[in-house]
Amino acid sequence: MRRTAKLASWIVGFLILGILPYFLQSTRVAFLIRLGGIAGLYMLLALGLNLVVGFVGLLDLGFMAFYALGAYTAALLAIQHVPFVVCVLAAIAVSVAARLAVGFPALRLRGDYLAIVTLGFGEVVRLVLNNWESLTNGPKGLPRVDESIPPASLFGFVFTANLHYYYLIVACVALAIWICHRLDHSRVGRAWVAIREDEVAAELMGVEVTRQKLVAFGLSAVFAGLAGAIFVHWESFVTPESFTFWESCLLVCAVVLGGMGSVTGVVLGALCIVAVPEVLRDLLGTSFANARYLLFGISLVLMAIYRPQGLWPSRRRSLELHPVEPDETIQDTLYDAERK
Amino acid sequence: MGFLEALSVTKVFGGIAALDHVDLSIKEGEILGLIGPNGAGKTTFFNVLTGLYKPEKGEILFLDQRIHGLQPHEIAALGIARTFQNIRLFPNMTAMENVMVGRHCRTRTEFFSTLLMTRAFKAEEQDIQRAARELLGLVGLLDRGNALAKNLPYGEQRRLEIARALAVEPKLLLLDEPTAGMNPAESRDLMQLVQRIRDRGISILLIEHQMRVVMNLCHRVVVLDYGEKIADAAPAEIQKNPAVIEAYLGKTHA
Repeated sequence: MRRTAKLASWIVGFLILGILPYFLQSTRVAFLIRLGGIAGLYMLLALGLNLVVGFVGLLDLGFMAFYALGAYTAALLAIQHVPFVVCVLAAIAVSVAARLAVGFPALRLRGDYLAIVTLGFGEVVRLVLNNWESLTNGPKGLPRVDESIPPASLFGFVFTANLHYYYLIVACVALAIWICHRLDHSRVGRAWVAIREDEVAAELMGVEVTRQKLVAFGLSAVFAGLAGAIFVHWESFVTPESFTFWESCLLVCAVVLGGMGSVTGVVLGALCIVAVPEVLRDLLGTSFANARYLLFGISLVLMAIYRPQGLWPSRRRSLELHPVEPDETIQDTLYDAERK
Repeated sequence: MGFLEALSVTKVFGGIAALDHVDLSIKEGEILGLIGPNGAGKTTFFNVLTGLYKPEKGEILFLDQRIHGLQPHEIAALGIARTFQNIRLFPNMTAMENVMVGRHCRTRTEFFSTLLMTRAFKAEEQDIQRAARELLGLVGLLDRGNALAKNLPYGEQRRLEIARALAVEPKLLLLDEPTAGMNPAESRDLMQLVQRIRDRGISILLIEHQMRVVMNLCHRVVVLDYGEKIADAAPAEIQKNPAVIEAYLGKTHA
């Protein structure tokens, strides 16, 4: 019974996310495809941030910086007609390298102090992009007047329509969700959650806390770099405007709103922060779009009071608990593991 | 070969010596009691042993290896695990997961084998779960395995902490007041558990305030007072030692 329900939800999900957009293309609501793609980019970012904020419990207020580094790396390469795949890989590499370079000293700090450092780095990146005219063209953005960023292409297929990017992003989000789920119930994921729950106890139980934090930090930048590279190919334009502190805050909102550490919750949270303002803009007129921060602020306060665990809280998985045969002592398990 | 040798360990906080040239040795297979009035430096000694504090002076040898100055997780991997005076479980993880985290340093699947679901990953995950079930069974919590740690009653949390520490596969287990807050029946169960753990060949260093527990369990007792070791003898002798009585009760009784 549960199997059929699961299968049914997969089919419904596939129809709605996979097939429906194809038929929406020429209708009045075609903008939903674009909106879905943007929501997908935010989901990628929120899933990446969730690894750090939700799993390991480190507050990061400058995550957009790594999205920006990915986007600018991809833009600079794409202008030189570097293939899309190489742009993506380079964007990821630059994001991760920067992330580790910041993380290595900063991860010695805890709580609020780390939040301040990440916030500061986020602003530094934006200001550098804004002022390094010779490389980034400053506030005017990339590409420059006589240059252009070609559309993405993969295995000879050129991504021209919004729908193409939508599918690309959906695939990336699916991959990201899969990665997060895998990690959640593994040795690495458990170590991360243990660090969130009690860092000192985790260290004393043999978890290499600093190393595990760095791994989570680095992996989160993979998501950001990937999202940045796709974004820049889709928009074929990028300015430092897109990477303000507020955007980083919105991402933290998405994670908190959805439920820290909950993969499904964070996807929902990202959907909310992208979709809700759009819907409200339709209903209440454009002037309202500027009030969205106010709205998020109010909803976060309400959440903190009435539902601190988030919209879709993370749940720990139940395991089978049949007793262990007396001869399978813990020593035996160790030797078994070594023999394999 | 010495098992654990602490030589002249000194730890100073703001000019006050919490530990003052403490010598302490533990033999393999021994249950050693560590007692003393409040503030005598017992927990500080645990924190130095497990690498949480770096001692100002002295050295600590575990299986002939210097461990002072190592990271706490390195010391855990060498085979020293502990529980805490104020319980420090991972509250929002299940009892099973708490114990499974203890297996961290005895297992090695990393990121990529996790993602690829390699055979080694699956086998190791099975081993981790089996070890965790075995240890939960040992402390009598197997049926509570899927409960969140924070939802367990106090006595069960204490036992879960012991199971988690055992998952590290320690050669030396440090128990910081394991019977604190327990009723007589619970602390009797706990004494049996400690005995069973020792019978598996694990040496134990025990901080304890209940003299009944100390006298019944420990092979030897070390007494700290104001950071100094004032006695080191068999339990029966400790009871008669004038310095110990003075430390606990004051001069007129001695």
